[in-house]
Amino acid sequence: MQSLSLSVSRSQFLLSCFCLVVSFFCLVLISIFTKPTQAAEANNPANYPSAWLEPAKTASQLDITSFSQSSILEGKGLPPVEQRLPDDPPVIVPVDSIGNYGGIAHIIADDRGMFIAAEGLFTISPDLKTILPNLAESWSYNDEGDQLTVTLRKGLKWSDGHPLTTEDILFSVNDLQLNTNFMPVTLPNFIGLELHAIDSWSFVINFPDPDPFFINYVAQSPEYFLLPKHYFREYHPDYTDPNLIAERMEELGFSSWSAFMTTSMQKRLFPDLVNHPTLSSFKIESLSPGLYSYQRNPYYFKVDPSGQQLPYIDAIEAQDVRENEVAVAKASTGQLDFAGVRLPTQDIPLLKLGEQGSGIKVNIWNRLHGSDLSIQANMNYGDGQKRELFSDVRFRRALSMAINRDEMNEIIYFGRGTPRQVTVVPGSDYFEPEFATAWAQYDVEAANLLLDEIGLHDVNGDGVRELPDGSPLTLTVEYVDTETPKQVSMELVVSYWNDVGLDARQRLIDRELQYSRAISGELEMTVWHADRTTDILFPINPDFWAPRKLAASLAMWSEWSRWYLTDGNLGEEPPPEIRQLQIWADELATTMDRDRRIELGKLLLAANAENVWTIGTVGLAPQPVVTSDRLKNVVEFGLWGWDIRYTMPYHPASWYFAQ
Amino acid sequence: MSELRELSPGRLAWLRFRRHRLAMIAAGVLVVLYLLAMFCEFMSPYTPQQRNARAINAPPMDIRFFDAEGQFHLRPFVYDLELTINPDTWMREYEENTSIAYPIRFFARGEPYEFWGLFEADRHLFSVDPDGSGYIHWFGTDSLGRDMYSRVLYGARVSLSIGVVGVGLTLFLGVLLGGFAGYLGGMFDSAVQRMTEVLQSIPTLPLWMALSAALPAAWSPITTYFGVTIILSLFGWTTLARQVRGRFLAMREEDFVIAARLIGANDTRVIFRHMLPSFTSHIITTATLAVPAMILGETALSFLGIGLRAPVVSWGVLLQQAQNYQVIVMTPWLLLPGAFIVITVIAFNLLGDGLRDAADPYSSLREQ
Repeated sequence: MQSLSLSVSRSQFLLSCFCLVVSFFCLVLISIFTKPTQAAEANNPANYPSAWLEPAKTASQLDITSFSQSSILEGKGLPPVEQRLPDDPPVIVPVDSIGNYGGIAHIIADDRGMFIAAEGLFTISPDLKTILPNLAESWSYNDEGDQLTVTLRKGLKWSDGHPLTTEDILFSVNDLQLNTNFMPVTLPNFIGLELHAIDSWSFVINFPDPDPFFINYVAQSPEYFLLPKHYFREYHPDYTDPNLIAERMEELGFSSWSAFMTTSMQKRLFPDLVNHPTLSSFKIESLSPGLYSYQRNPYYFKVDPSGQQLPYIDAIEAQDVRENEVAVAKASTGQLDFAGVRLPTQDIPLLKLGEQGSGIKVNIWNRLHGSDLSIQANMNYGDGQKRELFSDVRFRRALSMAINRDEMNEIIYFGRGTPRQVTVVPGSDYFEPEFATAWAQYDVEAANLLLDEIGLHDVNGDGVRELPDGSPLTLTVEYVDTETPKQVSMELVVSYWNDVGLDARQRLIDRELQYSRAISGELEMTVWHADRTTDILFPINPDFWAPRKLAASLAMWSEWSRWYLTDGNLGEEPPPEIRQLQIWADELATTMDRDRRIELGKLLLAANAENVWTIGTVGLAPQPVVTSDRLKNVVEFGLWGWDIRYTMPYHPASWYFAQ
Repeated sequence: MSELRELSPGRLAWLRFRRHRLAMIAAGVLVVLYLLAMFCEFMSPYTPQQRNARAINAPPMDIRFFDAEGQFHLRPFVYDLELTINPDTWMREYEENTSIAYPIRFFARGEPYEFWGLFEADRHLFSVDPDGSGYIHWFGTDSLGRDMYSRVLYGARVSLSIGVVGVGLTLFLGVLLGGFAGYLGGMFDSAVQRMTEVLQSIPTLPLWMALSAALPAAWSPITTYFGVTIILSLFGWTTLARQVRGRFLAMREEDFVIAARLIGANDTRVIFRHMLPSFTSHIITTATLAVPAMILGETALSFLGIGLRAPVVSWGVLLQQAQNYQVIVMTPWLLLPGAFIVITVIAFNLLGDGLRDAADPYSSLREQ
C-alpha cells in the first residue's frame, strides 16, 4: 500500500515536473514571440485609471465632505474653499498617487497649452472616442439629433469669483460666433445654430440638421464657447458705447474690438491677458519680456479623492523659447519640469542621455498624426500645365511611390514610426489597413513608368524631366517647419523625387505667408501634418479627404473649398467626383445611423487611398515628453496631438512635485 | 664665385623659400588638399548626397591592418558595423562585427559620377565591397547617413576654389585700381583712396550679410556661388590696391620707367609691361595671404545660413549643419570640416610667410 502510493506519487511527481518544464518553455516562447509594442500599449485604455474613461464622479457620490486648499491661498482674503468650489465638484483620480501642494513648474511658453489643459463644457476620454462631461454636468440629444440640451454644474466660478452661467455661453455664441460684425463668415459648425437658455444652468441648442458630433467639437475647441460675459461685455458694442470701446482699443493697441476678442479667445500672450477671468487651473499673473508667470486659479473646480482642490502645483514660469534646439538643450539638462511641443523625435537619444544625471524622465508618447507629413500638390494651382499635372492621379501616385518610407522611418524615427498614407489612426472605427498602404510601397520603376506615361520625358538629356511641351518642370515645395520633423523629411523626399528625374526644391517660408498663400490657392506645393485622424475629429472635420475648408493645412484644393463655402458664388465648381466627397462628408457629420456613418467615412478614406489627394510619409511616430523626475502623475504613455488637445485626457491638473 | 653670379632671381627665391621649412610643409599640405578637391569625385568613396540608412550618425570607422587575432594584413580593412538601437537610450549603437571584414580595394568601382561634368566614370580611389553590403566611413556619417569624408572633399572643392577665384578677382580689381591710382595720381587717385577708406571703415560681416541677403533665393546653387565670390572680392581689393599704389608712387620716378615713357610707351604699356613685373613677387605674396580670408569669409557666410546653401556642399555649409548643441554632445565628428578650415588657413599663412621671404632673397642678409 505504501509502495503503491509512493510509486503513484513518484509518477505524479515526474509528470508534474514534465508539465512544469513544458509550461516554462511555452512561457519563454510566448514571451519571445509576443513582444508588445509601445504603440499598442499607448493606445490601450487599460493603462489609465478606469475613472478617466467614464464621467468623473462628484464629491457627493464619493462621500467627500471636507475640502482643503493650498497653503499659499491662505490669508489672501479669499472666501473659504468650500464656497469657491462648485456645489458638487468633480473628483479627478490621479494616475499614480494623491499629491501634495506646492512648487513652481518651469516650462517653455509653447508648452503652456499642454501643462494647463483647456477646460470646456466637455472633455475627451483617453480612449480617443468618448466625450465626457466637464464643466457641463450632463447633456442629451433628442432622437432626431437636431436638439442638444446641456446642463452646467452648479456653482462654477471664473477665476475672479464671478459665477459661470448660461449667460456666458449665450454671449460667446450668439453675440460673437453668430454675430456677423465679429465673424463675417460664420464658422461651419455654427451655421444655422440657435441657442436658448432654459435657466441659469441649462440651455438648448437647435441645429438645422442633425449634428451628433457637435459635442466633439465643443470638447475639442472649448475656446469658442466660454468667454466671461461680465468681463468682455465692456468691449462689445452691443453692451457698451462704441466710442468708449474705440478708446480702450487704442489704449490696448488693437485695431478693433473683434481683433481684441479674437486674440483673447486664442489665449495669445498680450498684456491685458492678466485681467481676463479664466476657468483653467492656472491664471496668468504677469508678462515680462520672455517670461510669463502663472498662479493657481483659486476658483478651479476640480478636487482630488482626498478633497484637495486642484491643481497641486502653485505656480508656473513659462519662458519664451522659439528654437527647438534651445528647448532640447534646456529639457535635456533638467531646466524644464515639462516639455514636449518643441522636442523633435530625432533628439530622443540626447534627451535620454540627460536622464542619466539631469534628474529628468523621458517618456515616449505616440503622436496621433495619421502621417507626420501631408504633402500637397495644389490641384487648383494657376491654369497652366502644372494644374493639369497635379490633377493627374498618375502624377500623385508616382510622387507617392517614389518615396522610400522605410528609409525615412529608419533615418528620422529610429524605425519606430509607421510608414503610412494620410488616413485615420488604426484604432478608429473608420480604419482599413489598405487605406494606410495604398500607393505607399517604394517602387521607383513604377513611379518612372507613370511619369513616362504622363509624357514627362527628359527631352534635353540633363537627367531632369521636362513638361510634355518640352518646357522645364520645377516643383517648389514651400512650407513651415512646425510640430513634426518636416524639414529633414522634405530633404529626403526631395532627393527621392530627384531620383525619378523630377527637379524638386524645398523652401521654408513664414507662417503667415504660408497661411495666406494656402487659402488663396497660390502655393504650388506645401506640407502640413495630418492630424484630425481620430474619431474625435474625423467625423466632423474630414478635412484631408473632402474640400470643405480653407486652411493653412489644406492647400491642395482651395478653390473647390471656396466654392463649397460660398454656396457656389466664388471659387470653382468641383468635378463630380470631388463634389461627391463633399456630399459624403456632409452626410457623415449629420447622419444618426452609425452603420451609414462608418460606411461614409470609409468611402471618403477609400477615395483618398485611390486618388492620393495628399501624400503621407510616416505616421504614429514617437513623441518625446520630458518631465522632471520630481513631477508625478504624468502618464508614461499617451497620445500626442491636436485632436485631444495634447494632454487634455491625461489631467495635467493632477500633476504634482514629490517632496 | 662665377657660379653664384649666374643664379637667376627665380632660382634665388626658390633657394630662399626652401630654407623656410614650415612653408615647404604648408605648400605640400596645400598641394594635397587642392588635389583632393580637384579630383574629389575620384578621391572620395561616395557621392556627397549618397545616404546609408544603416549608418546614421555613425562614428568614424577604424581602418585596420591588424585583425582581432592580432594578425597583420598588408591590405587594410574595416570591420562590419552592426547597428542596434538601444531600447533604453534610443542611441544608435554601432558595434564592430569582427567576423566580417571588408578589405579596402583601390581603384574600385562604386557609385557612378560625372567627372568634371565631362565624362561618366565609376572608379573611386578606394572603396570596400562594391556590391553594397559593406561600407567605409572613416570620418563617420551625418544624420542622414551621408559619408563625411566624401562631403568634406566635395566641400573642399567649393571652399578652396572660392578662395582662389575670389582672390583672382581681388587681384584684378586691386591691381587695376591701385595701379592707375598710383600712376595717374590726381583726381583718380583721391577718388580711389576715399573709396578704399570708406570700404575699409565698414565692418565687413554686417556688410557681407546685407549683400548676401540681397542674393535672390531663387538663384541656382552655381549662381549663388559666383554671387558670394563677387561679394567677398568686392571688399577684399582695398588693401592690395593701397600696396600697389604705394609701389607705383615710388616707382614712377625710377629711371627705367622714365626711359620707357621717353621712348613713347603709352600708360597701359608702362604699367603692365614695365612696372608690374618688377613687383609680381610681392603681389603673389599678398594674394596668398588673402586666400584664407576669402575661405573664412565664405565659411562665415555659409555658417550664418546666408552664403551657400544645401544641397551645395562647402565647409561652411557643413559647419552650418553642425552648429548646434546636439552635435557637440552626440556627433562631434561632424565638426571635422572645422579642422580642415584651420589646417588650410594655417597652411596658407605659412606659405605666404615663406613666399614673402623668398620674394626678397636678400632680406635675411640684411637682418643678420
